[in-house]
Amino acid sequence: MSSAAEKAFEELKETVGRVTVDNPKMQAKNVDVFYGDKQAIFDVTCDIGKNEVIAMIGPSGCGKSTFLRCMNRMNDTIPSCRVGGDILLEGDSLYSSSVDPVMLRARVGMVFQKPNPFAKSIYDNVAYGPRIHGLANNRAELDDIVESSLQRAGLFDEVKDRLNAPGTSLSGGQQQRLCIARTIAVNPEVILMDEPCSALDPIATARIEELIDELRENYAIAIVTHSMQQAARVSQRTAYFHLGKLVEVGETKTIFTNPTHELTENYITGRFG
Amino acid sequence: MSVTNLILVTLLLTFLYFVFGRQKAFAVAKTSGGLQGMHSLPSHYGAYVAVWCALPALAIIVGWKLFEPTVIDSMLASSIPDSVHELGEKSVALYRNEINNAVDSNNIASLTDPVKQATATRLASLQNSAMLGLFVLVLCTVIALGVFALKRITPDMTARHRVESVVRSFLFISATIAILTTVGIVLSVLFESLRFFSQVNLIDFVTGLNWSPQTAIRADQVGSTGAFGAIPLFTGTLLISFIAMLVAVPFGLMSAIYLAEYATPRVRAIVKPLLEMLAGIPTVVYGVFAALTVAPLIKDIGSAVGLSVASESALAAGLVMGIMIIPFVSSLSDDVITAVPQSMRDGSFGLGATHSETIRKVVIPAALPGIVGGILLAVSRAIGETMIVVMAAGLAANLTANPLEAVTTVTVQIVTLLTGDQEFDSTKTLAAFALGLMLFVITLVLNVIALYVVRRYREQYE
Ligand SMILES: Nc1ncnc2c1ncn2[C@@H]1O[C@H](COP(=O)(O)OP(=O)(O)O)[C@@H](O)[C@H]1O
Ligand SMILES: [Mg+2]
Repeated sequence: MSSAAEKAFEELKETVGRVTVDNPKMQAKNVDVFYGDKQAIFDVTCDIGKNEVIAMIGPSGCGKSTFLRCMNRMNDTIPSCRVGGDILLEGDSLYSSSVDPVMLRARVGMVFQKPNPFAKSIYDNVAYGPRIHGLANNRAELDDIVESSLQRAGLFDEVKDRLNAPGTSLSGGQQQRLCIARTIAVNPEVILMDEPCSALDPIATARIEELIDELRENYAIAIVTHSMQQAARVSQRTAYFHLGKLVEVGETKTIFTNPTHELTENYITGRFG
Repeated sequence: MSVTNLILVTLLLTFLYFVFGRQKAFAVAKTSGGLQGMHSLPSHYGAYVAVWCALPALAIIVGWKLFEPTVIDSMLASSIPDSVHELGEKSVALYRNEINNAVDSNNIASLTDPVKQATATRLASLQNSAMLGLFVLVLCTVIALGVFALKRITPDMTARHRVESVVRSFLFISATIAILTTVGIVLSVLFESLRFFSQVNLIDFVTGLNWSPQTAIRADQVGSTGAFGAIPLFTGTLLISFIAMLVAVPFGLMSAIYLAEYATPRVRAIVKPLLEMLAGIPTVVYGVFAALTVAPLIKDIGSAVGLSVASESALAAGLVMGIMIIPFVSSLSDDVITAVPQSMRDGSFGLGATHSETIRKVVIPAALPGIVGGILLAVSRAIGETMIVVMAAGLAANLTANPLEAVTTVTVQIVTLLTGDQEFDSTKTLAAFALGLMLFVITLVLNVIALYVVRRYREQYE
């Protein structure tokens, strides 16, 4: 980082751009995250709007995954991790004592960087969530949920003849769509995606990007990505993180054509990251 | 002069030749444009020379020692008096034995008979000259081959590859020896069993319900007709193994789940070695525990609730054996559960599953092949276990499924058949081989099934 940029980072007191939206689904307020004594996220405030895709970009290790994992309390599974500040879902705090993190994760689903199908058949992978949450009253209903989830994930036509084949027998791109189908099947309100295409080839990536755009109709989506083209293609708003701080948030178009902060501009133009 | 000394001298010479070879390589390198011009490193050339010395020398020593006794025996035959020869094979052997012992213990003077003394002196001198001959032959070979190998060191000589191929052969031979030993054991058991089955019908053996191996030693003995029906033994083995698995599988699996999923690193570091220590306790200690502590306890509890329990019971042996086997199940299961990728757990948590749902529905199914492997391994261990059952299960070949009665197992019977004074080729002794063969076949089949299950599962989820 050039010394000028370093200075700009030191002087950064407040996120540049408009962090709130008119119609928020989730609101992060002054979120700090610590791993043991080490602080990974510094005072981040940011909304996710309804029916919006927000892209989170920034250099490796800047805390994108950490921030994303706060939104469905996945960080609870890491013993050393502590979260400060507050995050609201539809106006209610996620971190109040009355919230059960397990139930929360059914409302805020997550798709991971590496496709991680269970060691089960395709059908059972998708049926897993509905089964543990009792979403289907009988086999026919479960069949419907599985079929419609696979359909919405754009996978059904490819696998309808082999629903009993193991999920791991699919190609990488298909596996990731299976994981998306699995997430959709529990009918969440928000979907968090952590670099969902980083392990996939360009064609599989394009397929998933299309899918994300379609999913926006029904869900709020936050996607972490390393590809700026991808952020530009799928998102309406973009948030740029740097060393644990949220530097700039704005309309994706604006961020990529006319960023305000020097650090954002440096990153967008490929000067580091 | 002894073979040990000879081998030591050979090794010393070999080491010297290694050094010479290295130096020669350096010298050759100097005259032919540096070490870069050489095909191999100097130490490779040294090793090449050393191999040329040591291997043939060791082969000569082994070969010599194999044939020496026969040659010496035939040379000695002439100095054994005719009077002994006339008495037949056995007397000659006895005579030779006496002479050999006197010479081996370096005490020819102890022989009182002057004829024997003469023979012994001849034997001693034969052995001496043989040793001398071997010494000379080996040393000459080593030196000559060493010089020959040194001559062959040139820049293009592929010493590195040649030494490696020798190393490869050694590794191959080691592996072969292990396999051949197994084959040898199997064959010897097989042939003895065949001898048994020439006396006792195979069908009777496999389907007979009555086991009482006491055969009559004298023709007029009563009550010892000998019955070799192995069914009671195998049901005994199965009953005890079943009880053992009833203990080992749940406890082993649950402790594995606790260790892998819930225990903090500190607890795990303490509990895991403790649990594995169970496998290190000598089985005879378990046997004592089963016979002196558990069996009486079960008997007392049984009589308190009005059940009749034999003082040696399948239950006592099975329970203690189960405890012994817990670490087999837990350790292997723990390994495979820990090996299930964290990403799979995250996927389940991310869908709103609890920790225990994740374990039951995602982690355990993914770890199943390893768990099944561990369990089958434990079963074959249980089937082959001997000491505990010898001490706690009894000797009575009862055909029963009641765990409170005394039963006997295949392994126990093998032990009892072979201990005590018996002629080695009596039916009773041969029966032990037949039982051993059956046991071997059963464990083999179990292992094959285990491998098959595991592989099928792997293929499915790779
Ligand atoms: N489980 C963890 N324990 C301790 N530190 C962590 C852990 N996960 C991430 N970190 C640290 O937090 C910072 C942010 O990491 P992460 O959120 O994974 O970044 P990104 O996803 O943007 O690459 C990094 O410095 C990383 O080393
Ligand atoms: Mg990350």
